[in-house]
Amino acid sequence: MEGIVYNIQRYSIDDGPGVRTTVFLKGCPLSCLWCSNPESQNPLPEVTWRYTSCKKCGICVETCPLELIKLDEDGIHIDRKSCDRCGKCVEACVQEALQMSGKRMTVEEVYDVVKRDADYYKVSGGGLTCSGGELLMQADFVTELFKRCRGDEIHTCADTSGFGTKEAMEKVLVYTDLVYYDLKYIDSAEHKKNCGQSNELILSNLVLVVEKGIPMVIRVPLIPGYNDSDENLTAIAKTVAELDDGIPVNILPYHRYGENKYRMIDRKYQLEDVESPTEEELDKAKKIIESYGLKCEISK
Amino acid sequence: MTHADKVHPEEIKNVEVLTLRLRKLKKEWEEAEPQVYVDDTLLFTESWKETEGLPVDIRWAKAFEKRLLECPLLIRNDEIIVGSLTKFIRGNGTLCAMKPHEILEMCESGRFARKTSDTESTKITPEDLKALKEDAEYWVEHMPRVSTVNAALEYDMGPGVFDLLFDRGCVFEGRGVRYKMDRGLFQNFSAYGGGVAQVSAQCIDNGLNHVIDLCKKERERMMAEGDDEHSHGSAQFLRKYWLLEACIISCEAFIKFAKRHADLAREMAEKESRPGRKAELIRIAEACERVPAEPPRNFFEAVQCVRLYHLVCWKESSDRPEVPVGRLDQLLYPYYKKDKEAGMVTPQDAAELLGALWLKIRECENLVTIPRSQRAAPGSLLPNITLCGVDKDGNDLTNEISWLVLEAMAQIKLSEPAIYIRYNPDMDEEFILHALRCNVRFGGGNPAFLNDKLGTERYLERGVPIEDASNWNASGCLGYHLDRMEHVGGGHNINQLKVLELALNNGFDPRTQKQLGPKTGDPREFNGIEQIMEAYYRQLEYFVPILHKVKMLSLCTEITDGPMSGLRCAMQYEDCIPSGLTPKEGGARYPEGRTSWLGSRGMVDLADTLAAIKKIVFDDKKVTMAEMLEACSKNWEGSESLHQLCLNAPKYGNDDDYVDSIYDELSTHVPEIMQRWIDPITGKKPMLFIGAAAGHVVIGQSIGALPNGRTAGSPTNDAACSVMPGMDVNGPTAAINSATKKAYAKEFVGYAMNMKFSKNVLNTDEKLKKMAWLIKAFMARQGWHIQFNIHSREELLDAQENPERHKNLLVRVGGYSAYFIDLPPELQNEIVQRSMHDRF
Repeated sequence: MEGIVYNIQRYSIDDGPGVRTTVFLKGCPLSCLWCSNPESQNPLPEVTWRYTSCKKCGICVETCPLELIKLDEDGIHIDRKSCDRCGKCVEACVQEALQMSGKRMTVEEVYDVVKRDADYYKVSGGGLTCSGGELLMQADFVTELFKRCRGDEIHTCADTSGFGTKEAMEKVLVYTDLVYYDLKYIDSAEHKKNCGQSNELILSNLVLVVEKGIPMVIRVPLIPGYNDSDENLTAIAKTVAELDDGIPVNILPYHRYGENKYRMIDRKYQLEDVESPTEEELDKAKKIIESYGLKCEISK
Repeated sequence: MTHADKVHPEEIKNVEVLTLRLRKLKKEWEEAEPQVYVDDTLLFTESWKETEGLPVDIRWAKAFEKRLLECPLLIRNDEIIVGSLTKFIRGNGTLCAMKPHEILEMCESGRFARKTSDTESTKITPEDLKALKEDAEYWVEHMPRVSTVNAALEYDMGPGVFDLLFDRGCVFEGRGVRYKMDRGLFQNFSAYGGGVAQVSAQCIDNGLNHVIDLCKKERERMMAEGDDEHSHGSAQFLRKYWLLEACIISCEAFIKFAKRHADLAREMAEKESRPGRKAELIRIAEACERVPAEPPRNFFEAVQCVRLYHLVCWKESSDRPEVPVGRLDQLLYPYYKKDKEAGMVTPQDAAELLGALWLKIRECENLVTIPRSQRAAPGSLLPNITLCGVDKDGNDLTNEISWLVLEAMAQIKLSEPAIYIRYNPDMDEEFILHALRCNVRFGGGNPAFLNDKLGTERYLERGVPIEDASNWNASGCLGYHLDRMEHVGGGHNINQLKVLELALNNGFDPRTQKQLGPKTGDPREFNGIEQIMEAYYRQLEYFVPILHKVKMLSLCTEITDGPMSGLRCAMQYEDCIPSGLTPKEGGARYPEGRTSWLGSRGMVDLADTLAAIKKIVFDDKKVTMAEMLEACSKNWEGSESLHQLCLNAPKYGNDDDYVDSIYDELSTHVPEIMQRWIDPITGKKPMLFIGAAAGHVVIGQSIGALPNGRTAGSPTNDAACSVMPGMDVNGPTAAINSATKKAYAKEFVGYAMNMKFSKNVLNTDEKLKKMAWLIKAFMARQGWHIQFNIHSREELLDAQENPERHKNLLVRVGGYSAYFIDLPPELQNEIVQRSMHDRF
């Protein structure tokens, strides 16, 4: 069984308890405006361009068999619609400015990397986190991977937007020890407008996870001017509290660190004018969540 | 060891180490202009002239005595712990007898430095300059054994030996080894001084009167009954007689030195109008009348006694005063516990006293001759403090003083002393978090964590009983030893990367254009990596016996140069008094450490180079060996793509078995070769260490470009098992995995792991806990030494300028992480800004 992985990050410290390895899967049905990993959206491998390393030598232009790369004073531009991902330009780039994001890997190949840090999981209660993209798009792959972990008593965490079929979610949950569940909006129209899809599946899958009794943390990315209204936060808090007020909620403050990645794949960043939430705004959001009897933390 | 009471962290977290008084003293020292201090060296020389004709042991002891009895004393306003190295607020000591040529060079150039980074010379008055110059000239003339080693080497090994092995880097001279640039094959011949004395807990606890008494009794006994160790009428018998005399002179001089401080304090008290200060001065006087002659009566006297020991050991060690403070928490705790129970001392009192001790230790500075300071960590004088550890029955010894020392470190924020924590897996997690928090507050790099079990096991394997084995402490830059039972000697290094360079050139050194090693075959004709490795091993086999021989011949200065003073001998009284030998000569209880350390430098570069050749030449066949060597010889000029290919080849530190398996083979086979010959001095298997600290800059200068992608003359990897800067792109667990795939730290001492993190990886307790787990796993995997640095603002700025050198610099923000170099400039700037202001 193969999956498409665009990054494996060891010693991940923000993706669950203990020391973890996070496997980032490529492909996401959502397209949130603030997405900090835009290269994760396309389900296929794609060439990224690290402009800070590029010397504009033009070797890639000469190498591309389909002549899809152009060089001008801004740097290089790839005709991505026609690119067949042959990878010849990546191979030719000695500066490693061009890289292929996304690689087909078997469950065993991924697990080989994961188990290398078993000693660290053991002392810390850590383990594997699958993130994305959206892992439900590769549910069979994730299920197999989690199953391998279960066999070796490695803790598993699914970091999901919840957008996927019920079947996919059920499959993954069988071997999942902890769910990190993103909630951005309760209002479906808003969700569709800013995240590209409506949220009915997300909300029904949320109920499913609660019913299965799997430990869960709700994560709310807080985007000023988008989903930080009192109304939305109240709706989120209410929804969660009604399901189970023992579920902790984490607020992830918006940051612009993903901005450069858009340029790396020839895309334009949509939220140029948005600033990170202030301490006061974060505190206010936290208080709203807590007013429903929920435990709330702000990720730093 | 005293059983530790439960620690209440809240009591410690609120202490103010830097009280108003200490803040003032610190500021005054920081702002004072450094001065060259000459009184001690002049006194030494004066005594030396007076003692002409006496046995050498007595001459050293008398010179030491004269310094302690006649040097000017200084008690600064409002000091509560006393004992200054010089009469200046910030003075730099020196002793011409140790390195006259270099002092003379300084006098002639007019530039005196404490470290190479000093932009301005240390100040000296015209009168002092004149006196110092005359003193240096006297010693240039009167150092009788100049060139003894040189002559012995030339006699035994033929002319031109220096050119070949040391690249003119090393000139043996009298009791010292003079360095120019030690960039040849061998480095670090520590003939001079030959190690240091350390603050000894047992001497403090028993008092020096006890030691003097033992010396006198032994002398009476040997005169009356003869000596079991040495026959009557032998040279050794007579030597022992004089050595015991030297011990007595030195100990008594130390006691008088303390009494001089007592007298000065009383004198000051007489004149003092403020009643509070008067009482403090009387307290100081009472302490210095008591210690070190008799055991301290309370915590304050114990701290004052530690200060005096450190100072006197420093003076005695003269040229290379790397005096370890030892297991400070264990030493002080019994006194603290007793006083605390009696209501005589609070954590706040203890904190201020530790802070005062800290400042006094840090104050000590010597002039550092330039070549040495290029090798040593800048300005580092290595007064290491060791904390925690388990006793012989396996009990964790962490106590309240351990907590307070860390707190002092975090509040005082001076580069030294360095703190080493003997880590055991049963330690209180709260203590580890305290240590890590202090690390962040301090700014990174301190404390380091050492594997308690491994340290003790190394001694057990040498047959040392558990009572002694469990009492080790950190010393030198990456070493460790047993208080009063071992001699801290120097090591001898082989530049392993240079050996490989020779193998790649059929024994010919491209830099000096000479045939340095044997002809082990032209690599252009080799068919596989195995042949390259074989050629390297054959080069190494050729050089190790030569190294042993050089070592043996250099002993003629080690032995004939006398014991420095009797103090070091007296401090190891249980063993040196009966044997009549100094620790340096093998009088220590466990003598094998004294000169038999064999160091390897450049092991990581070695593995990376072999991996790159294997990958690019033999596996992928991208270029031939001839093309590779050609590109290296031209320092990559015109071969930029090959250079990049080499840089991108598998690198140690990424948990990549391709290169780690090569590292593994080297780590098995190199020790086997290095230990094939017994050490000619101790008659035992030499002990191995990984040379590191800052030697990597200098040794790199002798080596050309190599297939690991290095450019000619660039530094090699910085510490033992750390990763080449910028080369660990898979994170800390991968780096640790590479370093601990097997228990390499059992083979090599000094196996240090240096890791770097951005501040935002360490800004919450939750994240620090993850760091604590990293330590736990590291130790469980038989790692030896780990420490955490924090990316400085300068590094971040450098990463903006030179992104290719900082591929691994990760920035993490809530649920997301990116490589710093990928971020757009304005965000990079933001992070640079924050790096200055983030507070834990």
